[in-house]
Amino acid sequence: MRNFIAFIKHFQVVLIFVLLQGIALSLYVSFVQFPRSQYLTTASFIQGNIFSARNSLTKHFALSENNVQLQKKNIELMNKQPFSFIPQENGLVKINDTLHREQYEYIPAVVINSTHDKRDNYFTINAGTSQGIKRGMGVFSNNGIVGIIHNTSTNFSVIKSCLTKKLNIAIMLKESNEFGFLEWDGRDARRGSMTGVSNDFDLKIWSRIVTKGGGGIFPRGIPVGKIEKFEVIEGEPLWDITFLFSEDFRSLQNVYVIKNLLEKEQLDLENQANENQK
Amino acid sequence: MNESIKHSSRFIAVLLIQGLILNQIEIGFGIQLMIYPLFIILLPVNINIISLLFISFSLGILVDAFSNTYGLHASSALLFAFLRPSIFKLFDNRDGYDALVETNVFNMGLIWFAKSFGVLLFIHHLWFFFLEMFKFNDFGFILQKTMLSAPISFAICILLQYLFVKKQISK
Repeated sequence: MRNFIAFIKHFQVVLIFVLLQGIALSLYVSFVQFPRSQYLTTASFIQGNIFSARNSLTKHFALSENNVQLQKKNIELMNKQPFSFIPQENGLVKINDTLHREQYEYIPAVVINSTHDKRDNYFTINAGTSQGIKRGMGVFSNNGIVGIIHNTSTNFSVIKSCLTKKLNIAIMLKESNEFGFLEWDGRDARRGSMTGVSNDFDLKIWSRIVTKGGGGIFPRGIPVGKIEKFEVIEGEPLWDITFLFSEDFRSLQNVYVIKNLLEKEQLDLENQANENQK
Repeated sequence: MNESIKHSSRFIAVLLIQGLILNQIEIGFGIQLMIYPLFIILLPVNINIISLLFISFSLGILVDAFSNTYGLHASSALLFAFLRPSIFKLFDNRDGYDALVETNVFNMGLIWFAKSFGVLLFIHHLWFFFLEMFKFNDFGFILQKTMLSAPISFAICILLQYLFVKKQISK
């Protein structure tokens, strides 16, 4: 016993170093997979408020660019309004279409903190559980996809953006409906890559990539980017596709969080199917 | 008493500069600026190493809370603090360290500071970027990030000392 105490005294510095190092690394590993608390992230009360105070100062820097984007979106919506159309035939009777039911609702939010050149980039937004945001919801902007909600507090949330390892959003080519997964190699905030596309499909440069939908997180058809170049992976029957993100994450401010109204129904049905198989 | 107030206010200043300003500066090429090691090296020479480890760990974890890195900065700051005594011993002057003299660039000279802080900062950055990528395939990119970031961080640390650390009149 005395030897043991002497041993601990002799090596106490190393032991404490190893212990704290273990805490730090296990925090890192567990938080990247599944964050259990919001206290160590920018979603927490203190950091959230500091960042929103700073954002109220710096948000004006990109104001003109954001205004132009909102104007574009407005024009797009205005073009769909009834007053922009001339009736072609006056004899037709207008019928209210009840075949469509609303599936997705959108919650607006503002990005108050973001990074772009780390290996994993998280964005903080100023909306949280009190606005109805939950972990796992999809996020997009006027130009395209942004990421998935990773962690929430009462008034703030952290988005795991497209600029991270292992996001695994299902995306597809708009024309051929061939689908794959979104990946990011950590080098360039403007470019991502798409994996899992078989190379017996012909590709064209600048063809569009959109979200695949179906997982209940994103609706089908939200823009992701445009193919910039593609090469064959040696030894595998797959294309290595590099694409340009349609959203420039460096000047991102206004985002929308997607709330799937039918999510519970879909999950219940899928779980039922899994249970039936057993 | 005076000393502890000085170090606590530095703790907060370094944390806010790192969290609110430097984390936002994005030069490209994977450059990431980290100045909080400056706080750790300016702590008194005769500080108990266990409290040194705990202070560095808490600084690191707070920087993590500002940058959503969940423990990477804590781990790197801890390594920095753990290696500090050995590096100090390695680059010892013949007459040893005076416990009352702060180890800043004015008291110790630019050469000593460049040697000891430079080595520690390089190890700190390398460890941080290695954990962040965690892939041996990308070792070139890790080295590139380290070699580009460490000199700039070092220059900012020197600049900060010239701006904010008071020169002590040499005896």
